[in-house]
Amino acid sequence: MRDGLGTAEESQLMDSLFVIGLLAAAVRIASPLFMGALGGILSERAGVFAVGMEGMMLAGAFGAAIATFVTGSSLAGLAAALFAGALLASLVAIAVTRFQADQMVTGLAINILAFGLTSFLIRGLFHGRPPVMRINLLGALPIPILSRLPVVGPLFFQQPILTYASVLLAVVLHLFLFRTRFGLVLRATGENPEAVYAEGHDPVRIRQLAVIACGAIAGLGGAVLVLQDVGTFTDGMTGGRGFLALAALIVGRWRPNGVALACLVFGAASALEVRVQGAGLPVSSYVVQMLPYVIALLVLTGLGRRTRMPQAMGRAFQMG
Amino acid sequence: MVAPDSVSPKHVTELRGEPLPAVPGVERVRVRQPTPGRSMLRAIVAVLLAFLVAAIPILMAGKSPITAYGSLMRGAFGSLDHIAFALNKSTPYILIAVGIGLCFRAGIINIGGEGQVAMGALAASWVALNFGGSPGLAVVLSLAGGAAVGGLWSGIAAAIRLARGVHEVLSTLLLNFVGVLVVSAALNGPMGESGFGFPQSPLFRDGVQLPKLFPGSELHVGFLIALTVAALAQVLLWRTRFGFQLRMLGGSRSAADYAGVSFAAGVMGVMLLSGGLAGIAGAVEVLGIHYRLIEGFSQGFGFTAVAVALLGAADPLAAVPAALFFGFLDAGALAMQREAGVPSSLVFVVQGLSIVFALCAMGLERQRSRS
Repeated sequence: MRDGLGTAEESQLMDSLFVIGLLAAAVRIASPLFMGALGGILSERAGVFAVGMEGMMLAGAFGAAIATFVTGSSLAGLAAALFAGALLASLVAIAVTRFQADQMVTGLAINILAFGLTSFLIRGLFHGRPPVMRINLLGALPIPILSRLPVVGPLFFQQPILTYASVLLAVVLHLFLFRTRFGLVLRATGENPEAVYAEGHDPVRIRQLAVIACGAIAGLGGAVLVLQDVGTFTDGMTGGRGFLALAALIVGRWRPNGVALACLVFGAASALEVRVQGAGLPVSSYVVQMLPYVIALLVLTGLGRRTRMPQAMGRAFQMG
Repeated sequence: MVAPDSVSPKHVTELRGEPLPAVPGVERVRVRQPTPGRSMLRAIVAVLLAFLVAAIPILMAGKSPITAYGSLMRGAFGSLDHIAFALNKSTPYILIAVGIGLCFRAGIINIGGEGQVAMGALAASWVALNFGGSPGLAVVLSLAGGAAVGGLWSGIAAAIRLARGVHEVLSTLLLNFVGVLVVSAALNGPMGESGFGFPQSPLFRDGVQLPKLFPGSELHVGFLIALTVAALAQVLLWRTRFGFQLRMLGGSRSAADYAGVSFAAGVMGVMLLSGGLAGIAGAVEVLGIHYRLIEGFSQGFGFTAVAVALLGAADPLAAVPAALFFGFLDAGALAMQREAGVPSSLVFVVQGLSIVFALCAMGLERQRSRS
């Protein structure tokens, strides 16, 4: 800072730095949420409520933590997260298609199961006590040239690698859903499975694949949380992120770009929490912690019936 | 396969002898009650299967499932003290699950039990700490306060559903986080006891507690309250106009509309009732077990109660054995962890699996009766 800068300008500069820092943190915090929600788009577009995302993310976080801890490779961690999420999701896929179990309550049960199983295994696999893990976090990976752009640079081009990966995945998912025939069939399955069946496709198979893919991607979301933010596994560490992702799906109208925006808003609310605690403001940190949930609730209430969800969501496909 | 009752397409099944009006456009109204024997069999099979599958993670942990389940049984039923402990554990599950079951009957999914318990306990504790009159009256007012604020918390979700069409699964879920954080804010602020490392309220004064049922036993009056509530709810569901309306709403929305049953009144009524019962459960926990409000005490109550309501087939009386099962499971799991070194979180594995299996069985039954 040069000497000539007046105090007003100085505080303005501080303010803008504060805001940029806040938003950059929001992008980072939103990443696991966003990755998870991308999986949810697939499941819900195919007509299956993604209430089990919380559990799938938790399973992914568990897989990522254990595999990275044991092998020392975060690539192995990612693979394990993918597998753990998909494995749990295949249970959902079978229950809601073959057995036509209630989708909402099945999702809840999966969350309970994932909480119990991960909490059990993190002790059981290591002689009754959770191991002390210190996984090296994936740090910021500035992209040459772009990262030096003002404002946009620190926001979007000085992020860890998995954040970039989630954006890439969002683009791929968007192209898949809205530009390919498979994507069209998947969306149609969520709107009118009978028509899809009449066209000669198998809605049951499509839903199963969509749910399993949702689990794999949500698992990656859990891996992002472990490998970029936390560096260890703790019981129930997703702490409602799967449910926030679910809210982001609705607010973002089941489109990757809308969901990205919703996740950023929730991320900003969480980023604010950390900063308020740091700044020693006279606001109870618990009140600030409520922000993402309250904002999600307010936005959902504000949108109300204007959210048009996939028509066949929650409804089992019945042949004939 | 043709089920006997689907032969005539315009046929309307009856609800326990109360005939429904024929509804144009609605071919069949399916509000049949499966026989209690059948739903009990389903619950037992689901639970046994869950224990069977849960043996896999026990083996992965290098332990013997037989030893583990053995110490679980001993922990649950080993002594009168253990049994009293388990019955106390079951008490909130009965209260919350009865409400959730009534919601299920009306086609409403209330998974906000945890937040409603937390808010109810907060209100109950505030009354218990601040009411200066006779201790007996303080307990009664504290229970009432718990019911009121628990009902308020679920009422918010019902209001959002009715006014704005937001599904109650999401609103009740999000309100869970808010409710638990409100309790934390209170305990780390105005209601907290200073000088302790752990966020908790001061102890309630002498006498502001639920009395014990037997001298020398920890079993408290809350258990009797829960049994009474279950019996009253059974009467409400099967013998009153409101109960009939709930069953109609859950059976067929269009038939209910045709018969002039108000969806709004039904949803708001059953949600207030359910939240109120969860609030009472919170009050019973602080007045009967802890004698103070403790941070995080409500964790998992809401979801366990969903499992209880489901295994009890949304029948108020059947919620009692289902809640007892989970209460004894909780008590046994603590002993299993102590004695056999098998982590107690196995409880949640059994819970989650038994819900999935019960849901699959219910789905199959629906498919069979439809085809």
